[in-house]
Order: sequence, then structure tokens, then C-alpha cells
Amino acid sequence: MKKILQIGNALVAIISGGLVLLGYLLPELLGGLRQLLVQWAVILAAFALLLGILNLVAVHWKRITSPKSGVKAVYSSVLLLFMLLTIVLTGIAGPASDWGVWLVDTFLVPVEISLLAVLAIVLVYAATRLLSRRFHWSSLLFLVTVVIVLLGTVPLFVFGEVQVLVNLRQWVASTPAVAGARGLLLGVALGTLAAGIRILMGVDRPYGD
Amino acid sequence: MNLVIDNLDRILGLLLLALALGLSVFFLVRDRRSGISALRSMREIPAYFRFRRAVGLAVEAGKRLHISLGRGGIFEKPGGAAFVGLTMLDRCARAASISDRPPVATSGESITAVLSQDTLRRVYTSLGAERRYAPTNGRLSGITPLAYAAGAMPDLHDEQVSACILAGHFGAEVGLLVEAGERAHSLTVAGSDSLPAQAVLYAAAQEPLIGEEVFAGGAYLGAGPAHTGSLRMQDVLRWVVIGLITAGAILKLTGVWP
Repeated sequence: MKKILQIGNALVAIISGGLVLLGYLLPELLGGLRQLLVQWAVILAAFALLLGILNLVAVHWKRITSPKSGVKAVYSSVLLLFMLLTIVLTGIAGPASDWGVWLVDTFLVPVEISLLAVLAIVLVYAATRLLSRRFHWSSLLFLVTVVIVLLGTVPLFVFGEVQVLVNLRQWVASTPAVAGARGLLLGVALGTLAAGIRILMGVDRPYGD
Repeated sequence: MNLVIDNLDRILGLLLLALALGLSVFFLVRDRRSGISALRSMREIPAYFRFRRAVGLAVEAGKRLHISLGRGGIFEKPGGAAFVGLTMLDRCARAASISDRPPVATSGESITAVLSQDTLRRVYTSLGAERRYAPTNGRLSGITPLAYAAGAMPDLHDEQVSACILAGHFGAEVGLLVEAGERAHSLTVAGSDSLPAQAVLYAAAQEPLIGEEVFAGGAYLGAGPAHTGSLRMQDVLRWVVIGLITAGAILKLTGVWP
């Protein structure tokens, strides 16, 4: 029975994936079927979000009830409290209501801005650490390019915009950076294609047995 | 003729797909028949070499492995990277199945989180260790980029993680995750399909995976001939693409192609 279920799951995934893929390449023939399958998948995704939220609650509830958690239990309590508050407020008044907007503007936006500020510091620190970790010509080139792009993007104190730096930044952004990015993206595209083909061949089965 | 020119992109797409599928099957069959590990003929990627060692050390020391799968959904282009992350999760869970602390996977997208739980369950079931499976080890950390990073950071920092692998779709917020790994003194191997994340990882991660290196994870972590075969397929297709670009440039320069 288990074997039949495994083969059935794989067949459903392979046939659905194949039809959706062919729907992109043969839209007149399979475009409608592709849209239908994608719509079903979107409905399933909504249920997956619900499962994900339940998972989040389970993880933090486990932390609260664990005696070893210490201060982490407090953080998890705050998270669950605000999750409940958000569900109640947006459930009653709607996500676009004044209460919903207040929740986002008062809590989510400031916290995310603070994290972005921390991220800026982290990136500067990481850049300075790079040379001590991997002292190599490529690391040096990376840092020099970062400095040139930064100096060419923002007006300098006292000097204002330095035209040479602005031109250099433009050249870096439009020539070597584009060439490198295209090369990387081609590699990523081929990698994505390979991952997709493994799913279509039924070799990789992340959907379980 | 006009019909062919109008549908050139679709025809090329179909041809590329057929070629990729054919090459994958060819290399898979060839590697299975030869029975020799195809990994021997591949270049060493230091990040995977160090990670394989770190997995063994983590099991010995009773430490945890952390796998971050990013926030790419399977409905979008980043899905490919998420699938590779799931393969790595499978390999890590198998390697650390005897460890006191099972691996933890975090993701920023609900379907990927469900798939990570399914992957862990499947691994433990196949090893006859169903009781070791805990659904809370496949976690949805948050559904916005920064919420995901903020949710995954404590897992990296507080759960005695000795090695973490970040494989999936990330943005610049991956810098926060890598820093959390650094502060926990754990080995951080990280790769992404996104260019901004790759730039951040190049500077911040101990072992960055650049370009398509992240997609080679399955092959380098021993996921089998299908993965090494698809890696060879990528190599062949890369030369095909280089040939096409060069031919296109020559045709354009000579004025043959309008």
C-alpha cells in the first residue's frame, strides 16, 4: 500500500509539473490546463500558510513551556501575544482597517527599519573582516569596487559630487558588473533547470512518500 | 518560416528542455553503470569539503546542524534553490541521524517549511527512527525578509549549532543570519540564487558558494548519481550557451543576423 502511495505521489507530481511546464511552451494547447493547475496550487499554498503559522505557534509554545528556555520564553510570549492581538484586531476590523495599519506602522515597520540599520553595520563589519579572513586579490578587488561605487553614488562631504568617481561608478555598473551578473545568472538558470528536471524525473521527491 | 521565427523562443525552450532531459538521463545511466563515484572527477569545492567534515564533528560533539532554506516559494523562480536546500537538508539529516541533537531547518515561506518537515519525516522513517522526528524541527521563522532573519537568528545563536548551511533564496538580510552564525562560532556555508545575497555572502560568510555552486550541493554531499549526472548536464549546457552567445555575437557583428 505504501509503495502504491509513493508511486502515486510521484506520478501526480511528475504529470502536474510536466503539464505546467509544457503549458508555458505550448500555451495554445495546454495554457488553460496550466492555469487551472496553478490555481489549485495557490489554494493549497493558502493552507500551507495556515500550517506554517500553526508551526510557528507550536515552536514558541514549546519554548514557553520548556523550563530551560530562560529569557527566550519571554520573547516567545511577546511573539504569541502580538500574534493573537494581530489575528483578533485584523479579524474583526479587517487587514486594511485603521487598526491593521496601526499595527503595521507602529510595530512592524520600526522593528524592520531597526534591523536594516543593524544590517548596514553588519555589512561594514563583514567587509572589514573579509581581508583578514581571505587575503586574496579577488577580496581586494571586491572591496575597492565597493568603495568606488559608494563614493560615486553619494555626494562627498565638502567636495560634493566628484565627476570622475561618478563616471567610474557608472562604468563599473554598466560594463563589468553587468557582464559578471549575466554570467552568474546563466549559471543559476542552468542550476534551476537541473533542479526542475530532477523533480520531473522523480529523482528528487521533496513532497514525501 | 515566419511561423518558426514567431515561435523561436518556444522552440528553443523545448529544444533546450529536451536536450537537458536527454543529457541528465544519459549521465545518470552512465554513472550508475560504471559504478565509480563521479565525484572523483569533479573539482573540489572547499565549502562542501569543510561542511562534510563539520557534519561529522557536529555528530561527535553532540552539536546541532542548522539548515536555512531561504524565503523562496516553489511557485516562483527561486523554487530551484529551495529544492536544492531541501536536498541538502535530506543529506544532513541522514548524516546526523545518530546525533543527540537533530538538525533544524528554518524557512521564510510556508510551503518550503511544510516540505522541510516532510523531508525530515521521510528521512527518519526511511532510517526506522520515526520517534526522532519532531515537526518543530522544520520551522517557518517569518514571512517577510527581515522577519524571517529575525526569527532564524535565535535558532542559529542559541541552539548549540556547530555548522549551518544557508541554501535558498535570500536577500541582503542573509547578512544578519551569517553574523548570528559567526557569533555562535559555527561554520557558515552559504549560497543563494540571488545576486545581492551572493555579494553579501562573499563578504560575510566563512565559505560562500558563488554562482551555481549552491546547485551542486546535492552532488557534493553525496545525494547520488542523479545529482552528479545533472551537474554534468549543466557543464555541457554551459558550453552550449557559450557557443550560442559567441555565434550570436559573430552573426550580429558580420551583419548576417539583423
